[in-house]
Amino acid sequence: MAINTHPSLFEFDYVQPATLAEACEFLASHAVEARPFLGGTDVFVRMRDGFLTPQFLVDVKKLKGLDDIHFDPKAGLTLGAAVNMNRVIASPEVKAHYPLLAEACRSVASYPLRNRATIVGNICNASPAGDTIGACLTLGGILHIHGIHSPRQESLASFFLGPGKTILKLGDVVTAIHFPIPPKGSVGMYLKLGRNQLSDLSIVGVTALGHPDSNCKSGYRFRLALASVAPVPLVPTEAEAYLANHSITPESVSEAARLSADACSPIDDVRGSARYRKLMARNLSAKALSEVWKKLN
Amino acid sequence: MAFHKINVTINNELDQLIVPSNMTLMHMLRESLALTGTKNGCSAGECGACTVLLNGEPVNSCMVLAVECDGAKIVTVEGLAGKKQLDPIQEAIVQEGGVQCGFCTPGILISSHALLKRNPNPSEDEIREALVGNLCRCTGYVRIIESVKVAARMQSVTD
Amino acid sequence: MAKTDRQNIPSPIGENSPRIDAREKVTGAAIYADDIQFGNSLLHARIKRSPHPHALIKKIDTSKASSLPGVKAIVTGEDFPGYIGLYLRDRYIFCRDRVRYVGDPVAGVAAISEEIAEKALELIEVEYEVLEPVLDPEFGASPKAPLLHPDLGQYAVVNFIFPQPGTNISNHFKIRKGDVDNAWGKCAAIIERKYRIPHIQHVPIEPHVATAKVDETGEITLWVSSQSPFAQRNLIAESMGISHSKMRVIAPYVGGGFGSKAGVSMEALVVAIATKVKGHPVKLLLTREEEFYTAFVRQGLIAYFKMGCDENGRLLAMENKFYWDGGAYTEYGVNVTRASGYSSSGPYEVPNVRTDSHCVYTNHPVSGPMRGFGMPEMHAGLEQCIDELAHQIGMDAVEFRKLNCLKTGSTLVTGSKMHATGLPDCIKKTAEAIGWGTKAPPSAPNKRRGKGLALMWKAPAMPPNAGSSAWVELAEDGTVNVGVGGQELGQGVFTVMAQIAAGTLGVPYESVRIATPVDTRYSPYEWQTVASRLTWSMGNAVSNAAKDAKRQILDTVAEAWEETPEDLDIVNGVVISYKSEKEIPLKSLAVYGLPKPDDQGWRGGPVVGRGKFMPAYVTGLDPETGQGERAVVHYTTGAQAVELEVDLDTGRIEIIKGVSTFDVGKAINPEMVKAQMEGGFVQGMSSALFESLQLKDGFVRNPSFVDYRIATSADTPRDLQAYIVEVPQDDGPWGARGIGEHSMVPTIPAIANAIYDAVGVRLEGPPFTAEKVYLAMLDAGIVK
Repeated sequence: MAINTHPSLFEFDYVQPATLAEACEFLASHAVEARPFLGGTDVFVRMRDGFLTPQFLVDVKKLKGLDDIHFDPKAGLTLGAAVNMNRVIASPEVKAHYPLLAEACRSVASYPLRNRATIVGNICNASPAGDTIGACLTLGGILHIHGIHSPRQESLASFFLGPGKTILKLGDVVTAIHFPIPPKGSVGMYLKLGRNQLSDLSIVGVTALGHPDSNCKSGYRFRLALASVAPVPLVPTEAEAYLANHSITPESVSEAARLSADACSPIDDVRGSARYRKLMARNLSAKALSEVWKKLN
Repeated sequence: MAFHKINVTINNELDQLIVPSNMTLMHMLRESLALTGTKNGCSAGECGACTVLLNGEPVNSCMVLAVECDGAKIVTVEGLAGKKQLDPIQEAIVQEGGVQCGFCTPGILISSHALLKRNPNPSEDEIREALVGNLCRCTGYVRIIESVKVAARMQSVTD
Repeated sequence: MAKTDRQNIPSPIGENSPRIDAREKVTGAAIYADDIQFGNSLLHARIKRSPHPHALIKKIDTSKASSLPGVKAIVTGEDFPGYIGLYLRDRYIFCRDRVRYVGDPVAGVAAISEEIAEKALELIEVEYEVLEPVLDPEFGASPKAPLLHPDLGQYAVVNFIFPQPGTNISNHFKIRKGDVDNAWGKCAAIIERKYRIPHIQHVPIEPHVATAKVDETGEITLWVSSQSPFAQRNLIAESMGISHSKMRVIAPYVGGGFGSKAGVSMEALVVAIATKVKGHPVKLLLTREEEFYTAFVRQGLIAYFKMGCDENGRLLAMENKFYWDGGAYTEYGVNVTRASGYSSSGPYEVPNVRTDSHCVYTNHPVSGPMRGFGMPEMHAGLEQCIDELAHQIGMDAVEFRKLNCLKTGSTLVTGSKMHATGLPDCIKKTAEAIGWGTKAPPSAPNKRRGKGLALMWKAPAMPPNAGSSAWVELAEDGTVNVGVGGQELGQGVFTVMAQIAAGTLGVPYESVRIATPVDTRYSPYEWQTVASRLTWSMGNAVSNAAKDAKRQILDTVAEAWEETPEDLDIVNGVVISYKSEKEIPLKSLAVYGLPKPDDQGWRGGPVVGRGKFMPAYVTGLDPETGQGERAVVHYTTGAQAVELEVDLDTGRIEIIKGVSTFDVGKAINPEMVKAQMEGGFVQGMSSALFESLQLKDGFVRNPSFVDYRIATSADTPRDLQAYIVEVPQDDGPWGARGIGEHSMVPTIPAIANAIYDAVGVRLEGPPFTAEKVYLAMLDAGIVK
């Protein structure tokens, strides 16, 4: 509880492994006593609050390749885990091909914090309020993970288990997130409702990504993701299916928004009530879908 | 707990320090170097009073470990003017009345200076967005926003 | 030299003189209390605090903590039996037998590092017997509630506060004016409403910090971020049973106060700890989280309003019941209760008023002074009722206010008469600037636009004998040093005092310095930097000191020139004679005086002017009726209006335009006065839209910036206007009265009235969060 927040970070050892293998080995052998970190904007706060008490903080930012942005016109975009959000926003490749990602990053906190915050960090923190997670889900983000066994890839769709809980195992280091080339004609939007005009955590956040798709009855496929309305970032599959099967009109958008809200299981907390969150999930879904639809035409 | 020897350039001066793992950049500046211009408002990355330039980019120094700054260049409010008497943003904020209690001021100056470096002619919206992480309780921000516009004009004249 | 015209003497009064502290602050050179370097003998303190809102302390075991290496001292309430408090001594420095709020200090640790002190806290074991808490002031005031202060009857209390022993009511202020019961029958319209105003916090960007050192002779030095160095000396010395001469308070620049750093809160803790480690300075810096729930808070209010007017819209009667959620200790909060009581008519002439204002103990955080001192909380509901009453009687809300507002000579709720006031001008100017009566179309189909206006009044709430003093001293080169005891919180008081000294003495503004930091050993006495009183009170003292210095100088020169002092003056640092046109610069005589002719000696010498100001005319108020001749020194009045949009999809409010007009008597520095109006508007707006301490079961659920939201640069209105009206105050320097608090007072109701204009809903109280507005619109059928 914030009532017992400490004035500063308690004692720990800062460790900067030279290689990825070293990092994974260290993390695995020190188990819960060691924790990897990137920008620290979540980790340091949770340490002051007493939620995290690692004996070792393992800085993985400077590992080879983690700071790279790589774009391939066929394969897509690979963002190293250590790439901070401001670099994502400023990247010409992101601007050209993944503007939704930049929009989501831009909604986070403040410019100075974004110089430290990372998308991978946002994902690994696994808060249902994570602002960039919706963009990553709808863009089909895939995590590159190194551990003490062979490297692997995990889709974000099955990554989150609960608030603060992911499928990552001890010894795992996420080294990058990869996005395939978005379908032709993709348009996306992130609508975030905070308490202030800017910079707040989301009370509700809606990410909507749409593109023409001849495989869909409606001629369009929409991907949706909602923040702060469930224990994990929520993908309202019924709403997505509805939009694939019904021609897009103000009425079908309304219905999709209703389905989107129905899929939510928000809680009452200091930021908002469950009742309001459900209503905003509906309203913001409707608004995001309408805006995306407008741009698709 | 581990201690680390770091080499860091602060306001253009090269320093060498031994810092514990858990010391933040903010504490290193304020306690080890007595550079108290950078302020401690929350230690949680929310208020921006501790904003400094790290390799040219503004960061909340309470959210950076001192040990991470080995080899880095830091600029604090004390070094903002560099060789000049005052940086244009310092002049402008005095002229426009954007200083009251002054506690948020160092962070505001660093953030504004950095904004004008990356965007020499920012719009009102861009200024508001750039300063959203620097909380001020006294001024209501209006004169601060105006100061950034004035500083932009000052800089464009001298450039 | 051309003869100087008596009429055209240059003066900084009314000029936008540049801030005297600006350069220090923009270069990082300005020293605040946490910046002072103390060297290696510095110890760090942390406080063990109650985790319960209400409990008896059964046992405290500090043995494990004491044996932690690096721990130098641990103190508990056992060593400090003295009560402390400003208006009512109801607090111990450390709890002794019981805790009364989550955060109540139970023990204090001094250690060689903050980390070790923090670790030691976890090793202190406290056994509690949990008691039933009181979490609501109306319940707390009822006979059913457990007694939180059984010894209330024995607490020392000033003679204008009326605690009710045997209850939780620490002050009951009454107004009984006219015949309210009979007046209702004559009313053509009556409004009855209940408002609930939540606790909020000052949120200065600089947290509380204090360092105390007790030397081997028992002399205490306290370096502190403080609005009240002299009050802190007074209260702590009395509580500890030591002489004032043995306690010294040094107070540098304050990084924002808003009332939170007035009186005594955490400062006494560190003084107490320091007594156990003589020779070591001990520093206590509150975390931001502690700032939210253990520093003073603005007490919550449950307010019942009933008001009525005749068919012409003339206010006939008001009946008010206030239940102030004073928290665990109300040594300061009791005066908010009183001030709201004697202001409970709002800035209106109302012939019949009955008010009962109660300060109630609860197991909530501690009430203290916050910008407005009860006025924002009270006006929040009152000014909405005025709008509703106007609406009911079919009158325009501005016209209704113009009809009923105080004018010069109006009879006040306390029976006294209103001094010269520009309130009608403030209303007129504000209504004009907001474009009252016109409505611009909303910026989008899902928005609704509205305008709202509200008035305010406030008097400095202080004891009848709150005084100021000052000295003015010249150096060899004719520059001037001004000694004051009031504090620079950012409001610009040092600048204004330099202007007043320069303007009175006749020297250039640039040649004046303020003797900083304020240090009770050398600085002259000042009651407190609160109540928007310094420009007026300390300004008078500085002016009197400068006049004294000027008289000394002119007397010396008159004697030397064989002229009369009435023919002499000081202009731009030069003594001149209107008669003989002789002149001599101040630096030629400021310290050494003037030689007599024929080497016969010297006259004059060092010039030290002294001055004081204390209002001599403040009367009491009858404890049964609240009537009295002149219980306050003056009122600052004003008006604010807002134009806003409501988002129908989210309930979010955006303030498009804000207008403030206040009658400040005389703007000594007009741009700084406007800056106060802007800053106060935004802080008021922030309290209207975002802020509340979310209390549940006695716990503050949002004690951090993450969940206690304040206005950011993105929230401030794009069009913020400030206007000055000047109807002079008869005993203010150049007619000046205060402005620091007033600009935060009418903002909540102005916004509430605008929300009603936009979408037709009113809420039970602020903050008017997007959620509350949306759900209100939903429940009213305005949205689906």
